[in-house]
Amino acid sequence: MKRKEFIKKSATLIGGGIVAPYILPSGRLFARTGTEKAKHVVLVMFAGGVRQQESVLGRYLEDSQGVTGAVGNIMPNLFAGNAPDKKVVYGLDVPGEVRGTDPIPRLLDNAMGEQGMLFKEVRAQSAGHYVGLNTLITGSTGVAQGLKVRPNSPTIFEYLRRHRGFSATDCWFLGNGIGNSTPLLNSSDNIDYGLDYGGNMFIPPVTFGSSGRNTLANAKPYSNQELEPMYKMKSFLDQSFALEKAFQTTIKNTAEERTRIKTFIRNTFIKQGLGQIQRPPSGSGGDATTVSYAAEILKEFKPRMLALNMSQVDGCHSNFTGYLRALHRADHITGWLWQYIQNNIPEMANDTIFIVAPECGRNLNPNPIIDENDWFAYDHSDYNARRVWSVMLGKNVPAVQVGSESNAVGRLTDIVPTIADIFGVYDDVKGSGYIDPLATSQFMRL
Amino acid sequence: MPSFKFYIVSVGLLVSIISCNKKVDVSYGIEDIAVYETKAQKQKAKNEAEYISILYTNLFQEAISPATLYQTQNVLYSIGDQNVAKEMLLSNYFNRTDLKIPTEQYMRSNIEGFVIETYKRFLLRTPSEAEKTYFIRYITNNKDVTVEMVYSAFAASDEYGYY
Repeated sequence: MKRKEFIKKSATLIGGGIVAPYILPSGRLFARTGTEKAKHVVLVMFAGGVRQQESVLGRYLEDSQGVTGAVGNIMPNLFAGNAPDKKVVYGLDVPGEVRGTDPIPRLLDNAMGEQGMLFKEVRAQSAGHYVGLNTLITGSTGVAQGLKVRPNSPTIFEYLRRHRGFSATDCWFLGNGIGNSTPLLNSSDNIDYGLDYGGNMFIPPVTFGSSGRNTLANAKPYSNQELEPMYKMKSFLDQSFALEKAFQTTIKNTAEERTRIKTFIRNTFIKQGLGQIQRPPSGSGGDATTVSYAAEILKEFKPRMLALNMSQVDGCHSNFTGYLRALHRADHITGWLWQYIQNNIPEMANDTIFIVAPECGRNLNPNPIIDENDWFAYDHSDYNARRVWSVMLGKNVPAVQVGSESNAVGRLTDIVPTIADIFGVYDDVKGSGYIDPLATSQFMRL
Repeated sequence: MPSFKFYIVSVGLLVSIISCNKKVDVSYGIEDIAVYETKAQKQKAKNEAEYISILYTNLFQEAISPATLYQTQNVLYSIGDQNVAKEMLLSNYFNRTDLKIPTEQYMRSNIEGFVIETYKRFLLRTPSEAEKTYFIRYITNNKDVTVEMVYSAFAASDEYGYY
């Protein structure tokens, strides 16, 4: 080999050796970091079917039950506006008085909708829960989405892992229950993305509830060193079996990430036993549990992207009073989570964008079911159920209110391209061909 | 005209021809053949209930109760990375005192036999020569490898998740 040729080949080899480890799964050498608006995003998929009338419009009972003068805002941490002073039933119980007469004190000095971007009237693409959740997490319209199957289109976790190079523990989905296909939302089975790029997931009321405690809390604490022989033997067995990608049924973490997650689970049960899991002051029920453990995950993993789902508001199908109470509590625990990030996680405090949006609305007209106060309940199936709102606040988010009841701006499918925009991979996500063609970043809607 | 004696002799002869067959003693048996699965045949993923109940039986030599099965199934379903979920479950099982697994001494005294038994116990097949050689060498050369580690590797392997 000639000297010149030798030098040329050596330089190519060395250069390749240096560069190759940094190539992203998408094939790009460097992630687009120049336009990153914040380092972390937390998406709250809010509550389980929320009517515009009782939430962002602040019309309380006047609109829904025809109680003249009973208007006001029962979500003080999300929206600005005075609380109702008539027929207050959504708060805490005071002994000797009517149930729910004591509203939960607001946690935030300024409502989230005042601190950041409030899209007052957004079009949802579905009037149902699962397709609505799919819309929020995939940015697709979910027209052909079935139940009990993974999303047809890639989730935001897959986009970020593939195009932004995030690890599995950078991406988390927290669900409120194992029913209604919720545990399938951490990854699609899309052929171009799929489980190789899926996010981690817990369903805290189950994983860390009594079932989880009975099943997982007695785990032996193994060190990485102790586990090394096990992983080596497992690796040999797996190579021998050579499972094809088409048969893959789970997302994958690295060995180090797996050890970290297992340690987290073990430590969480210990903290739980000692009563050290922080909860919202007035939180109770599954949604508060989900939010409490979301706080634990945020503190431990400081994920780049975390999405969590709440659903207790869905009791509105048969109990309107319960719905009002659930809305008020969902507002409280959402405010608490934002406050927790600001006060307890310095790495995320000033570097997080917080997004809140319901997956669908509720009907204009009630069903015939009446509750303890003789108020009618509401389902979700008509045009009014496709009216929702969204709130976004945090780093680099301007304080602005967009749209009105008579002027809808934006679609629920905007959330995924908005998150992609925050992390600087908007073009990759839009160009994937899997999201709603009409969706765009909310920053671009302004 | 044939005499009466002729009839008697003819009938007697006929009876003796029909009735006097030589008895043939025929018996059927079953040849012992060991039947095991092969890797190539395993194409169906076990669901959570199948995985848990088979694992439980493998480790405790008894059936899991329906209530415990249901509870465990829900918990596995609530964790995104099934490898993490299964490793946590195994780790809990190995922390129980009613576990029925071979002793370290048994494994070290007959490593080849242990490897073959472990393949049959978890993967329902005999190991290939290459697989047997790998495990015998690995266990022999690594004194800190325990039965628990070997069982964990098998129970957490991809192949164990299929049938």
